Amino acid sequence: MNKLMVTSYSLLIISIILILYALIFSPTDWIVYGIAIVFIPIFILSLGLITMAKAKKEEEEERKEEPFIGY
Amino acid sequence: MINISYNSFLVIDTMNLMANVLINVVIAFLLGSLLLGLHRKIMARIQLRPGPPVIQHLLHSLKFFFKETSFPKTASMPFYVSITCLYCAIWILAVIIGPVTYGTLLIIFAIYAVYKIVEHNAGSSSGSPYGKLSCVRAVFSAAAEIPLFAVLAIIFLQTGTINIGDIVTYQAVHGPLIFSIPLAALVFFILILSKSPYSPFSITKGKDIISGFETEHFGVLRGYMMLSESIAWYVLLWVFLTVFFGPLSINGYLIGMVSITAITALINATTPILNPNHSVMSQITLAIVGIGGSLLLMFIV
Repeated sequence: MNKLMVTSYSLLIISIILILYALIFSPTDWIVYGIAIVFIPIFILSLGLITMAKAKKEEEEERKEEPFIGY
Repeated sequence: MINISYNSFLVIDTMNLMANVLINVVIAFLLGSLLLGLHRKIMARIQLRPGPPVIQHLLHSLKFFFKETSFPKTASMPFYVSITCLYCAIWILAVIIGPVTYGTLLIIFAIYAVYKIVEHNAGSSSGSPYGKLSCVRAVFSAAAEIPLFAVLAIIFLQTGTINIGDIVTYQAVHGPLIFSIPLAALVFFILILSKSPYSPFSITKGKDIISGFETEHFGVLRGYMMLSESIAWYVLLWVFLTVFFGPLSINGYLIGMVSITAITALINATTPILNPNHSVMSQITLAIVGIGGSLLLMFIV
């Protein structure tokens, strides 16, 4: 598992725990707002990074070696 | 802790605050996506094309979450990824300030200022020349769109408050603001128009620069940005309807949102994108006319 996946899984777990904490324990309003503003976006992003399709092992090199056609 | 909120879009009077936020974010995403899909459909029909189904924007947003994503070599990481997170965060804040708490319009103003920074930084962090051009245009267009927000001053002068909840209460007594300060409503509508897709004023996403600041954000990041766009569109329409049409029922909101989406689609389908100078000057002119006219009307009437 590469660094991106480890980070994504960690952030997903942290955000789920904090959102559930706010849902179940109903802390002070400003804590709920903080969790909502910071951790809902992180939850969606980390979920997206986990669910996105990854290049196959044999294709990985192809992706990196693709000539830079830019600008 | 139980949160007592106003009669929100979904009737939630007493509810867990986090649940309230989550439900409103999901509603904003789903309804915003469908409205943007409708916008595209109406534009297509006006241009005599069949157009994609109304649900297409929603499907695209979800589809991109499963697409293979690679990050450009030229992108400045992790800024390139984190800016999409900021994009989503500001619109979730807007949902909290709007439908959840009926808070102050000044924070909505601040969110639009930060949105300009997001456009700017998403463009510059990608390393693409199209993104960079869009980032320059974001600064340029901020000079035009921010004055449109001077409409807040008119609302304050008329109602004596900047709080959405108090403005709704004021309208329940004195009638909708659209009748007392119509030019301010027009200026706000121009702001909505400038944020709609394929707008004559949307110079940051003009097709002459491919997709502007979103050009190099593809795959999951594009899906994530589309999700934020949907929430943004919903919030903008919600703020307009709430501030100028007063307390509305769910049907009132739905009819209002669909109507404004249809009107912007009609305008966008029949109007070419303006060049950056014309876009900025048109908006500034409209802002001056709208705000000056409103002040004049307030002093005369």
